[in-house]
Amino acid sequence: MPTTIKLTLSSILATLLLNGCGATKTVNIDLNHDQNTHAVMGLDYRDFQSAAQDMIKSLISSGAIDKPNGGRYVLAISRITNDTMQHIDTDQLVKKIRVALLRSGKVVVTTAIGVNGAEDKMAMQTRKDLRGNAEFNQKTVAAKGQMIAPDMSLSGKIIQRNITVDSSTQQVEYYFQMTMTDINTNLAYWEDEKVIGKRGSNNSVAW
Amino acid sequence: MRYISLAFIISLVFNGCNTTPKLKDPIVNVIDSCSNSYIQILDLKGRIKDDGFMQAQVRGKNITNSYFRVEYKIVWLDANGFTIDSILSNWTTTPADANQPFYIHEISPNTKAKSFRFYLRKEGKTICQQQSNLL
Repeated sequence: MPTTIKLTLSSILATLLLNGCGATKTVNIDLNHDQNTHAVMGLDYRDFQSAAQDMIKSLISSGAIDKPNGGRYVLAISRITNDTMQHIDTDQLVKKIRVALLRSGKVVVTTAIGVNGAEDKMAMQTRKDLRGNAEFNQKTVAAKGQMIAPDMSLSGKIIQRNITVDSSTQQVEYYFQMTMTDINTNLAYWEDEKVIGKRGSNNSVAW
Repeated sequence: MRYISLAFIISLVFNGCNTTPKLKDPIVNVIDSCSNSYIQILDLKGRIKDDGFMQAQVRGKNITNSYFRVEYKIVWLDANGFTIDSILSNWTTTPADANQPFYIHEISPNTKAKSFRFYLRKEGKTICQQQSNLL
């Protein structure tokens, strides 16, 4: 068999092995225009984006982040409970809100405290390790009393409800609930809820 | 008399058969008209709130006999005309009932926004573009 034919056959075989027969082609998602296709019963990036977008809009419009005498509020991130059947990292929602609030110029987020301790443990660690350490120029070590306590706290919950519509159809409802609380008074200055509903086959799984 | 006639002709040339309604708010300047067989834009407003954020309101009308969802996005621009990158500039949807007006309310991502560009589309097709300038 001539070498050319051998090479051609080998490459065809290799292509078939790599691609499989009738396998779904992998494509990159166009994140800017992916709204009307392939909805899923679970939560995907579009749902988090939509929920975050609505929450940010609501929060900025409410005026709750406008400090009366100017300046910025310091925000602490409290617990965002995932009460769904899905393994969700709630940062998928919260990070978008944090980024938008920071860019609004009205809020800064503290990473020094959190529900499970400091979000950025290095800030406290450097203080403990470097203070009084002769190896470091003490003028460059963070001084005592420099951290700023938070004014506000952001908490929330994501809830899932599964409803059987008929023998072949199910409905899944997701509730995104968020609250911003004034830490000094414990009064909620802003609250909102966004509901995302999906209806589909019972064969689809929502977790 | 010659000057008045000239001004009248210039006005016709620039305005053409523009059906865009006259806006009461002097800070809004509609650059492009927007009208098609699905949606009519009735009004476009923009204002700076006391807290410095810019607010936009668009009043449109579904001129068909069926309900559909309108997709829209607003690109915010600073005083120098540069875009302000934000999640608030992503495409979003709003319901448009048959033969009924619909309202779109948007808020700028920060206080640097001084104008905006508004895009509207149905079923993924861009059909309209308008801009409000405060500059």
